[in-house]
Amino acid sequence: MQQREEKQLESALESIIQRVNDLKNSIASMIFRVENEFESINWPTFLDNFALISGQLISLSKVISHDKCPSLRNYTVLPLLLCPEKDEQLAQVTEHRVTTFSHDLVPDYLRTKLEPSAEKKMLQLEQKAAALTYENAQKQVAAYQKVIQHVWDIISKAREEWEVEAGSRGSTQQNSSVADTHLLVAAVGMGKGLKLGPNPNGQPNPTSGGMMVAPQGRPAGQGQIPPSTQAMTMNKAPSAIKTNIKSASQIHPYGR
Amino acid sequence: MGAPGTAMDSLSAALKCNIIPNQEYLLQGSVLDQYVEVLLHRLRGLCDNVDSGPESFQDHELCFTLRAANPSPTSIALPLRVRRALDVADAPWQLRYVGQQELGDKSRPTVVRSSIDMACTSTIVEFLTELGCRVDFEYTARGYMFRKGRMKITVSKIFKVGGMPNKPEGLEPISQSYLVELSVLAPSGQDAIAEDMRIFAEQLRPLVQLEKIDYKRLGN
Repeated sequence: MQQREEKQLESALESIIQRVNDLKNSIASMIFRVENEFESINWPTFLDNFALISGQLISLSKVISHDKCPSLRNYTVLPLLLCPEKDEQLAQVTEHRVTTFSHDLVPDYLRTKLEPSAEKKMLQLEQKAAALTYENAQKQVAAYQKVIQHVWDIISKAREEWEVEAGSRGSTQQNSSVADTHLLVAAVGMGKGLKLGPNPNGQPNPTSGGMMVAPQGRPAGQGQIPPSTQAMTMNKAPSAIKTNIKSASQIHPYGR
Repeated sequence: MGAPGTAMDSLSAALKCNIIPNQEYLLQGSVLDQYVEVLLHRLRGLCDNVDSGPESFQDHELCFTLRAANPSPTSIALPLRVRRALDVADAPWQLRYVGQQELGDKSRPTVVRSSIDMACTSTIVEFLTELGCRVDFEYTARGYMFRKGRMKITVSKIFKVGGMPNKPEGLEPISQSYLVELSVLAPSGQDAIAEDMRIFAEQLRPLVQLEKIDYKRLGN
C-alpha cells in the first residue's frame, strides 16, 4: 500500500518537475527576447509567448489537481541541517541560484504562508467582507455592473462608428488601381508595352535589331553611356517604329 | 546551342550550393500618383532608414533574351537583365537572372522565384550582344528605396525609354501609378521570411495592395 503511494508520489513529482522546467524555459526565452530583441520583436510574437506561458501554467495546475496526484499539502519538508558553507551540489542542482543552504535563505524557500504583512492585510479584507450585509453586497454588485455596462456601451458605440467610417472610406477612396498594377507588373516583368520589336501583325520588326546593335557601335572602354546619348540613339530611330508602337498599344489596350 | 548550355550549367551549379541568396520572395502592387506622398510618409515611419530618409534611385534596365539558334516551340528564351544607375556615375552595372516565378498555393504568402545577380562593368552589353543576346525591351525606373530588416521596398515610376522624342529627356511614364515592390533575397528554404512580408504588406493596406501577381494571367 505504502509502496504504491510512494510510486504515485514519485511519478507525480516527476511530471510536475518536467512542467515547471518547461515553464522556466519559456519564461527564460521570453526574458531573453525582451532583453535582446526588444528592437525587432513584434506584438503578435510577444502575445504568442504569453499564450505559451499561460498554457503551461494551466497544464501545471491540471497536473497538481489530478486525482492520481497525491495531495502535496499532506507532505512535510523538514530542513534537517542548515549550513553557512557553500554547497557545490546544491549550486549545481539549482543552476547556481542557491549556493548555500543557510538560515537566511531557507525560510524564504520553504515558506508555505504569505508574508506576515500580506497575511494581515488579507485578514483585514476578509473580515470586512464578512461584516458586509447581504443587501449591501447586492447593492454594490449592482452598482459595479452598472458602471461596467456603461463602459461597455461607450466602447461598442465607438467601435461601431469607427467601423462605419472605415467602411465608407474604403469604398470611396481608391488609392491604387488594379489595372495599373497589372500594367506596371507586365511591363517590368515581361516588357508588355515596352517592346520595341513586334509590330501589329506579330512579326519581329527588323529594325529592332538595329536598336540592339546601337551600344555595340560604341568604342570599347568608353564607359557608361550618358543618358542623353541613350535618348538620342532612340530618337534617331526610324519614325516607322513610333507608329508601330502606337498601333501595337492600341491593339493591346493596357486595361485588360 | 553551346553557349546557352554552359550558361545554364553554371547557373544550376550555382543554385546547387545552397549558400548564396538565390531565392527572391516578391510581392507587387501599385499606388496612384496623387497618393504616393502618403505612401512614402507611411514607409518612412515603418522602415529602418528613418533618420536618413528614403534613398532615391534612377535606374535604366535593359532586358536581354538569349534564344536557341534554331527556335522551336519548346525552347525557352533565357532572360537576362542589365541595370545601371543613371544618378550615380561610378556605380557598377548589375547583371541579373530572374527565373520562372512559383506562385504556390494559398498558404504561401509570396511569389518565389530564383534570382541571381552580380556586379559587372559597362562592357556587359557588348559581351551579351556577342553571346547572341537580343534586347527584348528596356525601361527607366525612378523612385525610392526603403529597407526594413532584410526586406526591400521600392516605390518607382516606370518610364518608356525614348517614348517621347519631343521631350528633352525622352521619358514617358507608362501609367499614372507608381510600382511598389516588396522583396527579400534569401537562400532557398527560408520560407519564414515570407510570413514577415505578409505582415508588412498588411500594414500598407488599403493604400497599396501588395499581392502575388501571376504573370501568366496578365497575358502577353
